[in-house]
Amino acid sequence: MRIVCPFCGERELGEFTYLGDAKPVRPAAGASEDEVFDYVYLRDNVAGETSEYWYHGGGCRTWLKIARNTLTHEISSVEPAAGAGAAKVGA
Amino acid sequence: MAEFSWVSRSPLEHALAPGAHGARGVEAGVSLTEIRNFDLIQVMARRGKAAELARVANGRFGVATPNAPTVVQAQDATLIWSGPDQFFVLSKGGKHTMDTLAPALSGPASLSDQSHARALVRISGARARTMLAKLSSIDLHPSAFPIGAAAATSIDHTSVTLWRGGDRPDGQAVFNLLVFSTFAGSLWHTMLDAAAEYGVTIAHSEELA
Repeated sequence: MRIVCPFCGERELGEFTYLGDAKPVRPAAGASEDEVFDYVYLRDNVAGETSEYWYHGGGCRTWLKIARNTLTHEISSVEPAAGAGAAKVGA
Repeated sequence: MAEFSWVSRSPLEHALAPGAHGARGVEAGVSLTEIRNFDLIQVMARRGKAAELARVANGRFGVATPNAPTVVQAQDATLIWSGPDQFFVLSKGGKHTMDTLAPALSGPASLSDQSHARALVRISGARARTMLAKLSSIDLHPSAFPIGAAAATSIDHTSVTLWRGGDRPDGQAVFNLLVFSTFAGSLWHTMLDAAAEYGVTIAHSEELA
């Protein structure tokens, strides 16, 4: 599997590490216990298109948000995660 | 308080044995030269200040800073892309140090002195590309990695900054490699092993290419 880093170009998987699901959003400070439990512990086990965070630690050290199909490993989009490459995502 | 005398030494001082290594009776295919005593400053744009940094650095160095994986040669420094909105300033002789760069660049950027945190190795020779191909997954063919190309990548699970300098007078390509000091010895031995079958000429130098 290879990932096309938006900054470095196509690189081997070994340069990247997987963080996890990019879908969960931290609940507001006053959220219920159930919502926090869901955010911290519960994950979907998707067979198909997922949204994930990957870290290009062996290269430009940028966090990436990647759309990947768990059935085929096909990657349909790679973009810098919010805050990465400060100027380019306008964070 | 105890008094210390700090003497900067190369991280490859013990590993590097100048002379010939590997295959004998052939013209050495790979030349490995450690470059010692350089000034290396990492410059990283503060959030939202990339455009300002580019403007200020352009005024300082007289060239546009790299905004893609490339190196840019200024009059007395090499600017090496190291990630989005960040680059290294490589120079010799105290021309660009924290003392001289910080007043100009510390507004839009964070600066960090890496002079003693990296080892710099120059790799050239007829089989240099073949040797590197054993270790790197980067396409180093001249059409994909021309003079001035740079890459933040990993070799032997070690983060390195790799770029192609100007060719040698005999036309051979020159690859420059910055690696963390504490990993330099390990990577050095890996490169020696990879290059041994081609014959290696080992040296160290004070001169930036």
